[in-house]
Amino acid sequence: MSTYRYSEQSQPPDAKQITDVAIERFDEVFEVDPKLMSAHVVQQVFPNWDTLRIVASRHDHLDWMHRHWAEKVVSGQRLLDELED
Amino acid sequence: MTIAPELAEPVLEELRQVLGDEHVLTGKAARFNRARVPAPFPVHRWAERVPDLVVLPGSTAEVSEVVRIANAHRIPIVPRDGGTGLTDGAVPLRHGIVVDVKRMNDIKEIDEVNRTCTVGTGINMLKLNEVLGKYGLIYPDDPASYPCSLVGGRIGTSGWSLIGSRYGHSRDLVLSFDFVLPSGKVIHLGDGAGHKLSKSSSGYQLKHLFMGHQGTLGIATEATLKLFPKPEAELSPFFAFPDYDSAYRTVGQLARAGVATFAGAVLFDEWKVDYLRRDDEAYISQPADVRALVCAVAYGYEDEVIAGGRRLMRIAKENGARYLGDEVSEGDWAARHDRYATPLHGRTKAGQVVPMSWHCEDAAINYSNLPQVRIEWHEIVRKLRERFDMFDDWGMFTYTSANTGVDYLAEIDVGIWEQQLDDESWAAWVQAKKDIAAVALHYGGSISACHGSCREGEVDLVPQELGGGYDVMLDVKRAIDPNNIMNPGKYGLDRAYQLDEGVGR
Repeated sequence: MSTYRYSEQSQPPDAKQITDVAIERFDEVFEVDPKLMSAHVVQQVFPNWDTLRIVASRHDHLDWMHRHWAEKVVSGQRLLDELED
Repeated sequence: MTIAPELAEPVLEELRQVLGDEHVLTGKAARFNRARVPAPFPVHRWAERVPDLVVLPGSTAEVSEVVRIANAHRIPIVPRDGGTGLTDGAVPLRHGIVVDVKRMNDIKEIDEVNRTCTVGTGINMLKLNEVLGKYGLIYPDDPASYPCSLVGGRIGTSGWSLIGSRYGHSRDLVLSFDFVLPSGKVIHLGDGAGHKLSKSSSGYQLKHLFMGHQGTLGIATEATLKLFPKPEAELSPFFAFPDYDSAYRTVGQLARAGVATFAGAVLFDEWKVDYLRRDDEAYISQPADVRALVCAVAYGYEDEVIAGGRRLMRIAKENGARYLGDEVSEGDWAARHDRYATPLHGRTKAGQVVPMSWHCEDAAINYSNLPQVRIEWHEIVRKLRERFDMFDDWGMFTYTSANTGVDYLAEIDVGIWEQQLDDESWAAWVQAKKDIAAVALHYGGSISACHGSCREGEVDLVPQELGGGYDVMLDVKRAIDPNNIMNPGKYGLDRAYQLDEGVGR
C-alpha cells in the first residue's frame, strides 16, 4: 500500500512538447497544450492518480469492446510478418 | 405546466387510464430532455421543440391506445427511441406527445434453431448482445451510437451499420415487426406475413416502406431479428499513407477483393488526419508524412479471418501502406463502436480550444466519385469557417456500405460551437447543408446513406432526389395518416395535405 501525499498528487510531471499543439506529462498520455486553453476553456486540475485512472479506464473499455464483439483478436503484425517471410 | 389546450385534463386523464399516472410525464425535465438529438442546433430556439408531455407505454396495446387517443384529438405524436439520430427524427417540431419506447425492452424469445430473436423495440443492441453472447450468438447491427441507440430507432431510420459489408444493415437484419399505424391499428410487417422469413415474393414489399420513415408513418413496437454466430475472431488493421490518392486506391482494392470475412473498410482523408493530430490522442505521435489512413475489418472463425486477412494485408502492402501496429489498430477499431462517448472540442481560427458539438453530414456516394465530392465539400466548409469562427472542419471519413465496393457512406464532420449559434450563423449552416447535399446529388449519390434527410437544409432537396417517388411519398403519407398527427413537419410532408388547396407538388 502506498501513502497518499497531496503534494505529490497535485504536482504533475514536467511537460514535454510533443507537437505544436500537444504536450506529454505521462508516457503516451497526450494533452492539449495549456496555452491553447486560455481563452474559452480552461484546463481543470486533476490529481495524478485521477489522470492515470481515466486513461486506464479507457483501455479497459476498449478491451471490453473487443471481447464483446469476438472471442479473440488476430494480430495484423503476425500476418504481415508471415508475408514478409 | 403549460400545455396545448387540446392536451387539457380530459386527455391527460384518458392517457393516465391507459398507462398509469407514473408513465405520463409532464414535468419540465422529462420534456426538455426529449426536445433534441445530438446534432447541433440553435440552442436559443430550444423551447420551440419541447413536447407538451411524454408517455412511456409498456406494450404494443398501450402504444396503440395512445395513438388512438392522439388521433381522435388531432394531437401531434412523435416516437422516440434512443434519440441518437442526426436528422431530428425524434425532435417534436409541433410540440404534442412524445412516445418514448424505452420501457419496451424485453427479450421475448431467442430461437436458437432458426437463429432469430424477438424483442421489444426499446432494447439497446449492446444490452441485447450481452445476453445473446451467452448463447454464442450476436445481432450485428453496429452504428457509431451502438451503446446507446435502440432497435426501434434503427427501424425508424433504416440504420446503417459499420460492419454492414459483412452482415447487412438494419433493413437486412430486421426480419419483421409489429407496427402501430396513425389510426392505432396494429399490423405486422415483414417479408410476406411471416415473422421469421428473410425472403418472400408475396405482395408489396411493405417492410422497406415502413423502415426509414423517421416516425412519420407510425411506431414499431416489437421486432424479430436475424442472428449470427458470435465471431470467433476479429482483425482490424490500420494503415498509413503519405497521400490521399494512395489511400483511396487501397481502400477500393480492399473492398473489391471479395474476401468473405470482410466487414468494412474506412478511409480517413488529410483533413481528418490533421484533426485527429490536434484533437485526438491516437494519432498525435504519428510522423508528419502520415497524411491519410485506411482501416479494414474482418470477422468470422479464426481460420477464415486469418486466410482472408493475409489477402487484405498483401493488398495494403502492395499499395505502399505502412501498418500502424496492433495497439493503434485494435484501440481505434474498438473506439469506432462508440463514437458518441468522445469528448468533443475544436479550434477557433486563432487555435484556441472551444467546446464544440459534432455534426456529421453524410451521403451515399459511388467509389469513383469520392475524390471530387471530398474536394467540393471541404470548400463549402472552408467558406463557412471563413465567415463564422464557430465552425471547424474535422475532416472526412468514407466507409464501405457493401461487400463489392460499389458505394460508400461519405461523411464530413463539422465541429459547431453550439452556444454561439445565432440566427445568422444558423442560416449560413443550413445553406451549407443544402450545398453539401446538392454536391452529393450532382455526382449521382443520395443525400444520406445513414442519417436520413429530414433536417433543415438537406430536406429541401429530397423532392429533387426522389423525383416522382417523392409524389408517391406524399400520397402514402396522406393515405396512412389522414390527420397528419404522426411526427408532423418532417420530410416536407405537410404539403401532402395542401394539395386540395392547390399547393404542393
